[in-house]
Amino acid sequence: MARERPANDGGGGSDLGPLPAGHHGLSREQVEESQRERLLAAVANVVAERGYRAATITQIVKAASVSSRVFYENFESKEEAFLASFEAVLEHFEDLVGEAIASETEWQRQVVAAICAGIRFFESEPELAKAFLVEPAAATPAIATRFREAVLKWVPFLEQGRKKRADGAALPDSTEDSVLGGLVFLTSRSILAGAPPRTVLHDFIDFALSPYLGAGEAARLASEAEENFP
Amino acid sequence: MRATGELVAKRGYNDVSVELIVKRAKVSFKTFYKHFANKEEAFLALFDTEMAAARARVDAALAEEAKAPWPAQVAAAMRALFESILADPIIAKACIVEAPTVGPVIAERYDGAMKSLAPLLRRGREETAHGTELPKTLEDTLAGSVLWSAYQRLIVGEVDRIEALLPEAIIFVLRPYVGEKEAMSWAEASRGQNEEKNGPKVSIAP
Repeated sequence: MARERPANDGGGGSDLGPLPAGHHGLSREQVEESQRERLLAAVANVVAERGYRAATITQIVKAASVSSRVFYENFESKEEAFLASFEAVLEHFEDLVGEAIASETEWQRQVVAAICAGIRFFESEPELAKAFLVEPAAATPAIATRFREAVLKWVPFLEQGRKKRADGAALPDSTEDSVLGGLVFLTSRSILAGAPPRTVLHDFIDFALSPYLGAGEAARLASEAEENFP
Repeated sequence: MRATGELVAKRGYNDVSVELIVKRAKVSFKTFYKHFANKEEAFLALFDTEMAAARARVDAALAEEAKAPWPAQVAAAMRALFESILADPIIAKACIVEAPTVGPVIAERYDGAMKSLAPLLRRGREETAHGTELPKTLEDTLAGSVLWSAYQRLIVGEVDRIEALLPEAIIFVLRPYVGEKEAMSWAEASRGQNEEKNGPKVSIAP
């Protein structure tokens, strides 16, 4: 899976140098693999910089230093390339968050760990955050749908919080939906405003936990997490 | 304008052309271009009109409840918003789901429209002893939450579930301010009041 993760070039320039020409000792498969990875990384960079709609295949192949022929050998369209890049990043993101969750046993600690891991990831990869958190809702219906699926995948995990309340089943059905929607909204808002994701860490945790634990306990855990955030 | 909205809701903004719009509206290109310079302008006009109509509904609801306690005002404002969506779900879909993809001008107005509810919500901080401890971002996040849940239903075409969503959304929004029990009773009161006004609707899920 790390194999497919678009390389981060430090967030600076979006141009990746061309592969060395001639005898570079790489097999055909290795070259193709590398070209695909470059394209996946380039999609993220170009979309982060220009927005999905304004991004063109010409810009993407230029940033990846490959030919358009190579692009079309890998993908049929900009949408397909974006979705492939999204999947690769999502897989990596879910691994990171999954590990964070596995490191804790208590549900509320797991939520805090998951949120901290997510925020750390997007803080270290601001371009990916812009390309894959802000842009999808405004891209194409297929992309927006995939994005929503990826968000709603966390519903069962949040729902476990209902067990923390004697009357957990009485919480409205749409509670998890609303919590996740609020979190997505809050993150995109802070990314668009150029605020580092950690500035919303506290509010994020507070918002996610309070329906389940009550306002006081949620705020306490949020402050604690903020203090311990590296 | 209406043709623009219907088409955008059905096909997505990108796949709508001026040609399709004039065909649907049964007007000539000349008429279209007399009113709008291009597709974006037509959609922007629709968006602005719809937002103004929704705001007018909310303002009317608030005026009616001017003397009511704050939670009842919030419930009334949210009901008015949901009624705007239900009054014309196709156009609502165009404005809520498709609009953000149209371009920076609309994205900004969209954001502005959402922010306009924050002051009403923020007054809830005075309702509670812990008002100053509530997260600064709470009002924006709540607005985002409600929009997201409505958005989900519009996308999957579950328009009838939007109505059922209203009491849940009222609870969700009021809870941080007045606590859950009270939030639930305000949601209940709002439903009761509405039935008194419009008669009970059998279609509403409990």
